[in-house]
Amino acid sequence: MKIKTILINVSCLLLLAAGQSVAQEMASGDHVQVRWLVPDTFHEGKEERVGFYFEVDPGWHVYWRNAGDSGAAPRFNLVPKGAALGPIEWPFPMRLRVEHLTNLGYSGNVAYLFQLLPDKNTREITISADLEWLVCKVDCVPGFATMSFTRPVEAQAAWPDADLSVRNYFANRLPRKGSESPWQPVSISPRGSDYLVLQLTAMNDGEIPAVFPINGELFSAAEPEIQHQDGSLLYSFKRLPGAGVGNISDFVVADSSRSWKINAPFLSEMAGKESTTSVWLLFLVAFIGGALLNLMPCVFPVLSIKLFGLINGGTSPAHRLRESFLYSAGILLTFLALGLVLLLLRWGGLAVGWGFQLQSPVVVLVLIILFWLMALSFSGFFEFGHRLMGIAGSNSRGSFITGVLAVFVAAPCTGPFMGAALGAAIVIPPLQALLIFLGLGLGLAAPFILICASPALLNRMPAPGPWMEKLRQFLAFPLYATVIWLLWVLGHLAGDSGWLIGLSLLLITTLAIWLGKSFATKGVIGGLICVVAASLISLPVIRVEDSERSSGMVNNWHSYDKTLLAEALENGQSVFIDYTAAWCITCQVNKTLVLDTPEVQALFRENNVLLIRADWTRYDPEITQALQALGRSSVPVYAWYPAGEKKPELLPPLLQESLIAALFSSQLTVNSEDD
Amino acid sequence: MRVIFNFSSSLLIKVVVLCLILPGAVWAAAVPGQKAPEFSVMDAAGNSHSLSDYAGQWLVIEWFNKDCPYVRKHYGSGNMQSLQKKYTEQKVNWLTVISSAQGKQGYLDPAQAIDVAESHNLGASVPFLLDTSGVMGRAYGAKTTPHMFIINPQGEVVYAGAIDDNDSANPAVIKTSHNYVSAALDASLKGLAVPKATSRAYGCSVKY
Repeated sequence: MKIKTILINVSCLLLLAAGQSVAQEMASGDHVQVRWLVPDTFHEGKEERVGFYFEVDPGWHVYWRNAGDSGAAPRFNLVPKGAALGPIEWPFPMRLRVEHLTNLGYSGNVAYLFQLLPDKNTREITISADLEWLVCKVDCVPGFATMSFTRPVEAQAAWPDADLSVRNYFANRLPRKGSESPWQPVSISPRGSDYLVLQLTAMNDGEIPAVFPINGELFSAAEPEIQHQDGSLLYSFKRLPGAGVGNISDFVVADSSRSWKINAPFLSEMAGKESTTSVWLLFLVAFIGGALLNLMPCVFPVLSIKLFGLINGGTSPAHRLRESFLYSAGILLTFLALGLVLLLLRWGGLAVGWGFQLQSPVVVLVLIILFWLMALSFSGFFEFGHRLMGIAGSNSRGSFITGVLAVFVAAPCTGPFMGAALGAAIVIPPLQALLIFLGLGLGLAAPFILICASPALLNRMPAPGPWMEKLRQFLAFPLYATVIWLLWVLGHLAGDSGWLIGLSLLLITTLAIWLGKSFATKGVIGGLICVVAASLISLPVIRVEDSERSSGMVNNWHSYDKTLLAEALENGQSVFIDYTAAWCITCQVNKTLVLDTPEVQALFRENNVLLIRADWTRYDPEITQALQALGRSSVPVYAWYPAGEKKPELLPPLLQESLIAALFSSQLTVNSEDD
Repeated sequence: MRVIFNFSSSLLIKVVVLCLILPGAVWAAAVPGQKAPEFSVMDAAGNSHSLSDYAGQWLVIEWFNKDCPYVRKHYGSGNMQSLQKKYTEQKVNWLTVISSAQGKQGYLDPAQAIDVAESHNLGASVPFLLDTSGVMGRAYGAKTTPHMFIINPQGEVVYAGAIDDNDSANPAVIKTSHNYVSAALDASLKGLAVPKATSRAYGCSVKY
């Protein structure tokens, strides 16, 4: 052993004396010296990580693989003899501010490494390399060199101690496997046309890692703006002007000493593309979505009641028009207010989505009482219309309030078209997002305005008569049904106490009305006192039950669990996720008529599909984020991961059994083609 | 055939045509597909140039710094001059801009600029534009030398980025590099879509 070392030392001295060979083992240029980091002997048949050590003058820097705004990565053209080489490996860089630009590189010394595997039965390894590099302070100097080394292959690898520790130091800074990263990518999505937002899950200790984009053609190198958002970190990278969204979205995430290479899925859904194409397109989609909302079971009764009320009044065209505008104003202001609240919550760092107002038990409670009052009034229990709120009447405040109400009752019926528009509203700038809310509102209001403004259409409506009284009484029943449904939602939100408090308040409300009817002014006052007192007692009591998701399975459906999903995808199992909420009527319809039928369940079973039900009835940041990653902010969303696919397809919001069956028939075709 | 479809996407495609007519927002940098930023800069001969002077004509704008190795790569090899010659002969205007501030690398006063134009055999339409204040460079978001922009007769940017796809400082690679600027000009002069409208500009930082 000792003899060998001496021999090596002697041969090194001889090499030094030869001069020429030494020049090949090292290279120097302005402000930089380059030398090999290789062992004195290689281990037979064993892979070794070797590389180039760049010693850079203070204040000067060399570059990472993505050099950033200017500069260039070094180039290595390697020709091996007696070994196979891996690609160049890049230790994670730092951001270097150079005047108005940001570069990614290394201020000071750095080792660029690569793997070397000695060939079988080889006794000697020779590597020659053509190098080109750029070293910069503010001005840049390129350097070129040819280097080579020759080393014997022995029974053991022997490193000079100092070189081995340098090698190890930089090998530790190479990106590791993304799956080992403490910060996991959720998605990358456009924000307006200027930014791309990378979402990472946050670690508990709150450390904020540096993130470096590998794709310099898409992401600017400048320090991204970083936001904390409820269990995740949002990195807003400036996008290179005019760069199209490619699929290369690899990043290196680094803490102070280690790094990992991660790959974030691009937001596959339209939310991303739309926001880059045109906000007007979204506006249009929102408008159509809003218009379709009129036909949904949630809105239709409210709207038709209002409309019949107007006809009943034998009103003039001008009056009707005025009413329709007031109704529209109610809708628009409510949409804008909800939009503003949504944006404010987001701005405050809270992950919320559409329908968030129904995640609050207080809002649900207020709606229960409102619908109860309306139902009682329609049944003729008391005159609610003209005097109090005029829901079924024709006074102006009534029209406005009908508009407000229409928006609130519409939320559960998120229809086709609304999903995409609302999803986009999350990622685009606030003013454009408000425009989308405006579009939804205008769409919702448009048919009403149209009917009120057009005598021709109005004439086609049935003539007023005593039948209207019967219709009104009949329409009380859907309202009672709504009350039952909302109580059920409240039960989901607040547990058993929800039912108790909800029903008790209904009782007191009814008592209050009776008091008001029977004892004139005193009664009204008494009634009001009852309601106010009851509300004051109940509102603080009612709160969302412990928001922990129940884990485990309910009728073949697993509750939402990220790890479970990741495992299944890793194993190539197909997965179906039902994003649902108790207050979402469309969801309940799909659940009852399609998803939970024995036929569909059998289909899922036969095809070994993992079923996940993500219940969003209550506020749940994890599910909100998962929805966001799909470009959605409302339910229902049906995400289907075919076997072996890691990116989901989104199914239409209205499901049919044939559609589910088609998932598998098409999968069969694909499989047989593969065979 | 997949039976699944996204309910909204078919409609989206139909209405997208409508929306394309609507103008996009205006940005502070030259962005492909959008209007080119205005500028008004004197050349080394003392004449003023602004974007409107080139309305209705094709225009290439190139950022220059004589001491930058990457500029030397393309001028020393004659690559840039041959591009300038080829396209100015096809009635394309070519402006070469120096945005180096006084005291910074690459700064030239008008007399020096005339000399450098001559020694470099500059084939631009006019002698260097001297954007000493950096206003034009910043308006365009010019980051490096060379940084290339192509503007169509409608005043819209059709290409922004590097001259080619090889960020080596070695002139030997030019032969085997894919030149983005000539590819973009050849396509757009024929009325075809530009194959690649944007790329990461490589080179030295502009010395504002």
